[in-house]
Amino acid sequence: MPSVEELPAWSEPFNPETRGGLIRLPALETIDREWAFGGATGEGVSVAIIDSGVEGDHPAVRGRLKESWAIEMQAGEPKVVREPVAGDLFGHGTACAGIIAGMAPLVDIVSIRVLGSDLKGKGAAFAEALDMAIRRPVRVANLSLSSKSDALFPVFHELADQAYFSGVVLVSAANNVPGPSYPSLFSSVISVAAHPDPDPWRFYYNPKPPVEFGAWGVDVPVAWRDGGMTVATGNSFAAPHITALVALILSKHPGLTPFEVKAILAAVANNERSASTAA
Amino acid sequence: MGPPDRDTPDATLNAALLTIREAARRGVVASRFQPEVEDRLLQSIVDATVRLFEAEAASIALFERDPERLEFRVASGPKGAGAVGMTVAPNQGIAGYVYSTGEALALSDVAADPRWDRAVAERTGYVPRSIAAVPLVNEAETVGVLQVLDKHSAPSFTMRDMELLAVFASQAAAAIAATKVQRDLPSLIASSLRQVESELTQEQVEALVSTVAGELDVDEETPFWALVDEVSRLRDLGESELDLVGDILRVVAEHRAHRGRGRFR
Repeated sequence: MPSVEELPAWSEPFNPETRGGLIRLPALETIDREWAFGGATGEGVSVAIIDSGVEGDHPAVRGRLKESWAIEMQAGEPKVVREPVAGDLFGHGTACAGIIAGMAPLVDIVSIRVLGSDLKGKGAAFAEALDMAIRRPVRVANLSLSSKSDALFPVFHELADQAYFSGVVLVSAANNVPGPSYPSLFSSVISVAAHPDPDPWRFYYNPKPPVEFGAWGVDVPVAWRDGGMTVATGNSFAAPHITALVALILSKHPGLTPFEVKAILAAVANNERSASTAA
Repeated sequence: MGPPDRDTPDATLNAALLTIREAARRGVVASRFQPEVEDRLLQSIVDATVRLFEAEAASIALFERDPERLEFRVASGPKGAGAVGMTVAPNQGIAGYVYSTGEALALSDVAADPRWDRAVAERTGYVPRSIAAVPLVNEAETVGVLQVLDKHSAPSFTMRDMELLAVFASQAAAAIAATKVQRDLPSLIASSLRQVESELTQEQVEALVSTVAGELDVDEETPFWALVDEVSRLRDLGESELDLVGDILRVVAEHRAHRGRGRFR
């Protein structure tokens, strides 16, 4: 016989005596942008950028890069190492950091570089970076890459679930190329594609998954390598706009779960509103 | 006398090796006969890309190993020619980023930024203002990148452009998959070996692959490969000439039969 402590207690939170622990948000229809992130700065929220590294001294990053890590393959195994210099091999991670710091000026950025070194361990390095972001834990992670490897499907599935249950919001750029793409196609992440309206605050909720949100991702002026700027298009420039909004929401409402964050984003999106929705 | 050879695991493996060796040999022979099939298909795709986008250039770079690099295999358009044959490190530039992430992206105003991989662009003799790049994706991996430079009609690329480009990229990936046997014999041999003998260690597989691949060193000046090359040149012959070649080969084969053993196995 299992001891009492070992018995499952899934129904425990719902007992009349313990329901006090269930106090949550106001009703969704009363939530607006002012409630969600009005006056928020992202202060106190750590954001991981799993990408090509971030240039810490780029003016667009506003000095918000707090830590730089890299995943390197050592004897076939991914290892977390500190970056001696906070640089960016491509410019892309800095572009994401600039978008996020531009909207949420007091976030703490943690760069985890997975691109640019060993291609063979690419998928494994990415999984290790996700694991690191979850264990730290950061509150939100921006992912502009995905894996197509069937072998890594269960690994990413497990990590995405772990993130979801431990309150880490994963924001993933949708992949335009048909076929599998992990973790951007998992329901536990926020998957983002690009819209063309030049407004960082304009975003849409799409009730037809797998891509649930659309943010500005066409001709976006972004920070680039070596202190430079460029104009960029792609889903991977849309995702950081949503990452920034998530950071703002979490800085104002730290106790929210990823499920609640997603629901709030849907509630305050720029979709046209109607009294009833089509099936 | 021991049991018949074919019943022992070693004999089974040897038989499988012989089959794999023969298949690999035929694969290389086939690639000698039609070496440019893949490039022709890829060329038609970049030609169509340039026409559709009314672009200055389009090119396809494929990932190659030893050393790891992206090699520009085909290009098209008024400013495209300079890219063919060029290689870039897979951790470099737009092509490298798109290859590493599998994410499509486009940049404009790139020439305005003096730091932006200008060195790479200058090697092609053309520095673009705008660039769009999409990954070429097989069933499980990214195999290369399709790039387009400078659309005449607009200063930058739209998401619709990127989606269209992805369609061209999937055609290119299909062409590459169709000729994959020719491109990637060693990994084909390795996976076949693992299927016939799951007990083999990684080292054993690698040793066997290098043995089999070594036998297929097509740069080697053996009479067999010289003959394959000669035969591959006969494709354009007329019917009566081909008949004549057939007659000659038959005479050679009969000569070999009379001698009891041949020079070519």
